[in-house]
Amino acid sequence: MFAVVRWTFFLVFWAVVAGFLYYTLPQRDVVQVSGTEIIRQDFSGWNRIFYAQADAGNAETINRDLRLINTVRRNGRVMVYRNEDTGFGWPPYFKLDSSNLQAEAQNASRQNDEQWYAITHYGIRSEFLTIYPNATNLSPVDSADVRLIPWFNIVFLTVLLAFVWGIWVRLKRFRENRIDPLFEDA
Amino acid sequence: MFRLIPIFLIVLTVIYVCLSLYSRAKARDRLEAQWAEDLRVGDREAFVREGMDSYQNSLRRKLIWGVYVVPILAVVGLIYVQNFM
Repeated sequence: MFAVVRWTFFLVFWAVVAGFLYYTLPQRDVVQVSGTEIIRQDFSGWNRIFYAQADAGNAETINRDLRLINTVRRNGRVMVYRNEDTGFGWPPYFKLDSSNLQAEAQNASRQNDEQWYAITHYGIRSEFLTIYPNATNLSPVDSADVRLIPWFNIVFLTVLLAFVWGIWVRLKRFRENRIDPLFEDA
Repeated sequence: MFRLIPIFLIVLTVIYVCLSLYSRAKARDRLEAQWAEDLRVGDREAFVREGMDSYQNSLRRKLIWGVYVVPILAVVGLIYVQNFM
């Protein structure tokens, strides 16, 4: 019984960690940009945390306009990205140039059917919550089947793993040297 | 921005103060150990005091400013790469 509780706890814990990293770290999709649009978004308690704040320097209101970038992926399915400033908040992308990115996306949409783009983004698309991944960068690529290596994620995850490992080992040593001896006599 | 900068400064200041106190204590320990090993004669206090004066001007002490410099440079660099490159 205790084993079940223990394993459930670990499973949930690691699922949350993995989900957090999957949501926050940048990913690149290869897409064709078909257009851009702006909708008014009324946030609810359910989906508010999946949106950033108002553009850097602006006031925060209950609802606001949201820039969207409509794309078609390599497999022919569509993907919609939002285009919001992360500003100085979380996640720390320090993205302040949403309007510029929107202009780039509009320019890219004129070359629909010809040019493929790598769109860097974080976040997930969920139709149930009406949330979109946030596009952070748009750059042209040579062809649809270009191979993109996520160097940043490789380096970041390696450093994170080393960091966690270092803390883990020190905690373990601390317990062996300082806490376990207290119980040995008892 | 106006929320991040004060939080950043407070956290970095705490780290800076802790690190500089730690480094100073370490420097003093080093000097006392050196006195105990090599000299063992003369004024111990004066020896340590002189050593701490040279620590005051040392590169090691100035490097602790990196606590402020490195994160600020990192953020400025990130802003440039993300928005202006």
